[in-house]
Amino acid sequence: MLDVSRVQKELADCNKDKAISGVSIDLHGGDGDLSHLAGTISGPVGTPYEGGTFRIDVRLPSGYPFEPPKMQFVTKVWHPNISSQNGAICLDILKDQWSPALTLKTALLSLQALLSAPEPDDPQDAVVAQQYLRDYPMFVATARYWTETFAKRASVGIEEKVQKLVEMGFPEALVRSTLDSVNGDENMALEKLCSG
Amino acid sequence: MAEEEDYASSSDMEEEDMSGFYLSDREEDVLEETVLQGLESQCEEDCHWSVSSVITKESLLAAQKEDLRKVMELLALSEQHARTLLIYYRWDVERIFELLEQKGKERLFSEAGVTIIDKNRATDLLNSSQSVNCNICFEDVSQNAVTEMDCGHSYCNDCWTEHFIVKINDGQSRRIRCMAPKCNAVCDEAIVRTLVSARHPDIADRFDRFLLESYIEDNNKVKWCPSIPHCGNAIRVEGDICCEVECTCGIQFCFSCLSEAHSPCSCQMWELWTKKCQDESETVNWMTVNTKPCPKCHKPVEKNGGCNLVACICGQAFCWLCGGATGRDHTWSNIAGHSCGRFKEDIAKRTERARRDLYRYMHYHNRYKAHTDSLNQESNLKESIQEKISVSESKQSKIKDYSWVTNGLYRLFRSRRVLSYSYPFAFYMFGDELFKDEMTPQERDLKQNLFEDQQQQLEANVEKLSMFLEKEFQTFSDDEVMHTMSHVINLSDVVDKLCKQMYQCIENELLYPLQRATHNIAPYKSKGLERATELSVCWDSDQSLRSMKNNNEGSCARWDLTVNVNGRHSGSRFPGSSSSDESGCSSSTRKRPRRDVAGGAAPFDLNMPPEVIDNGRY
Repeated sequence: MLDVSRVQKELADCNKDKAISGVSIDLHGGDGDLSHLAGTISGPVGTPYEGGTFRIDVRLPSGYPFEPPKMQFVTKVWHPNISSQNGAICLDILKDQWSPALTLKTALLSLQALLSAPEPDDPQDAVVAQQYLRDYPMFVATARYWTETFAKRASVGIEEKVQKLVEMGFPEALVRSTLDSVNGDENMALEKLCSG
Repeated sequence: MAEEEDYASSSDMEEEDMSGFYLSDREEDVLEETVLQGLESQCEEDCHWSVSSVITKESLLAAQKEDLRKVMELLALSEQHARTLLIYYRWDVERIFELLEQKGKERLFSEAGVTIIDKNRATDLLNSSQSVNCNICFEDVSQNAVTEMDCGHSYCNDCWTEHFIVKINDGQSRRIRCMAPKCNAVCDEAIVRTLVSARHPDIADRFDRFLLESYIEDNNKVKWCPSIPHCGNAIRVEGDICCEVECTCGIQFCFSCLSEAHSPCSCQMWELWTKKCQDESETVNWMTVNTKPCPKCHKPVEKNGGCNLVACICGQAFCWLCGGATGRDHTWSNIAGHSCGRFKEDIAKRTERARRDLYRYMHYHNRYKAHTDSLNQESNLKESIQEKISVSESKQSKIKDYSWVTNGLYRLFRSRRVLSYSYPFAFYMFGDELFKDEMTPQERDLKQNLFEDQQQQLEANVEKLSMFLEKEFQTFSDDEVMHTMSHVINLSDVVDKLCKQMYQCIENELLYPLQRATHNIAPYKSKGLERATELSVCWDSDQSLRSMKNNNEGSCARWDLTVNVNGRHSGSRFPGSSSSDESGCSSSTRKRPRRDVAGGAAPFDLNMPPEVIDNGRY
């Protein structure tokens, strides 16, 4: 059975310093299901991913933390170890190197580290890895373009979304924090606001 | 006996006459000469040797004790650490000692996940009343509900248990690592056993079984017998693991690839061959090139002449060039109302090639099949011959010993097998599939001639042997029986020699000069396949399991258990393991030449004329 109390503690612990760490994690849906979470990581400074916010779909198997969490990028990202098609991640600690002493936060931090330090020799996406090795400037340009296109859209026009939700009758402060927590996804924010 | 004297007196004869092509109408003294040569060549043993033993469920623990003991003694380890080390290095004790030299103890241990507890550290344990925070479940637990592994990482017992269960269910019993990130240490098997059995005794039992079976699963020298339904045995081979063995359940198999014994075919050749025979890919190949499916009934249709309008037996006419259905109204150059952009490839060439390949395959397959069938038929001979023997023995005659018949029969079976497998071997040896780039056509022709000469000789003599063995000797006069006997004995010997020669030719003339050939061929054994003998142990499996469970850390003294290894347990070939000589386990049988062992195992000595054996000259 899923260790509920540990997951709850992890959530609290992870979000305590999210401004500093750049990673956060929340429930995916409003139904209180602890086995389906949504993580975010901010693109590391000095990389083509800088300024982007990347959403990660996190599913906890029933054996968690003795089995590794299943993580997948929801935000499209151009990276040798992340599938450009479906966001699947190639990272050892999510597979055989997982240890029950690792946490969701450390896993997300590892993903963030992976963004700064790709390992093209052990690729998930062969096309990206090829480009990384053969035409690095092109790789950087593509990765940056993808970051601009897919990882920043949420923040564009955030004011419009706030206004829209405020007009529906929710208090502005709550709207802003909710939008923030779901990374600017309007529909998810609405869902969350409605479920209270 | 007169014959015996002949053997003795002619001992100075040379072995040069190796034509081996035995003709039944030669003079008698020539026959005897051949017999003699057989005796002499008997003395030379193959450089390949392997000894095999059967490991049953009951003897599994005993079988690995020797290896464990060696590692424990030489590295001063507890049994469980020795086991961890052996599992990691695939039960290759020699390799462990080699690596010990190269890497040193520390690296050897740490790579395998063995951590030796630092006794000093253990003293600064906290007061047991104090509670600590477990780093996995984030709960505060009392100190006595926490377990520390040898590597120094401690977590609460519940978390450990959960971790062990997940790993065991995941099939990773043999290497359950510590829970700390990047910690390579393998968990103490006693702790795993204790914690898991408190909650799930069945899983703990499984854990024990997995550990025990590691000796088979993670060991190049031990393999499960491939019998179906499974006989429950495993076979251990010492020496050259490229060999063919026979399990006590009766099945004979190739130890390398676990399929039926197939030498002189290499494993790769045999795999290709069985696959080829199975899907008859040559036939399919020929059909794709030479036939087209009828557009109506889809039967393959071959064009046997005429123009491009082809009529199927179902009545449908179609265009041979594009395969499309047409009407029957046509001329030599076109079909009414039909036109397909005709793109002609060199169909003729392709057809020619496919046909040649098919005929070639059929040639080898037919002969392979013929000998396999003969072998099957001849196995029926076994019973009828037994009857004939008992009839003969009850007769009033001066010939009392009929073991030459059974010996001859076993020789026939043995050589028949060699003969039948020599055809798939030749198919690949001289075909394009494996060695095309390794030989020039001239070289290949040369080799092929050489090999085929030997094969033909063998074949002729095997058939002749078969013929003599099928004779109704129980109705013969004494003279006729003597005549048949000498033929059978001589032919047996010639056939054995020819088999040996063929294997030598394969090794030295055919395969050896090839650069990239990695075809290991199980050596020929005159006496037939190595029969694995059972390791006999004086305890039952329950006991052995119990002893394993009771085995606490540091208790190296479990070795007083009596293990009778039947004189086969030869972990003795250890350069550095002189200290193990005192074990008394198998020291009396050590350094025994292999022939004794093998001779004891085989019920028939296939090479010896019975008189010789009877007179104790062997």
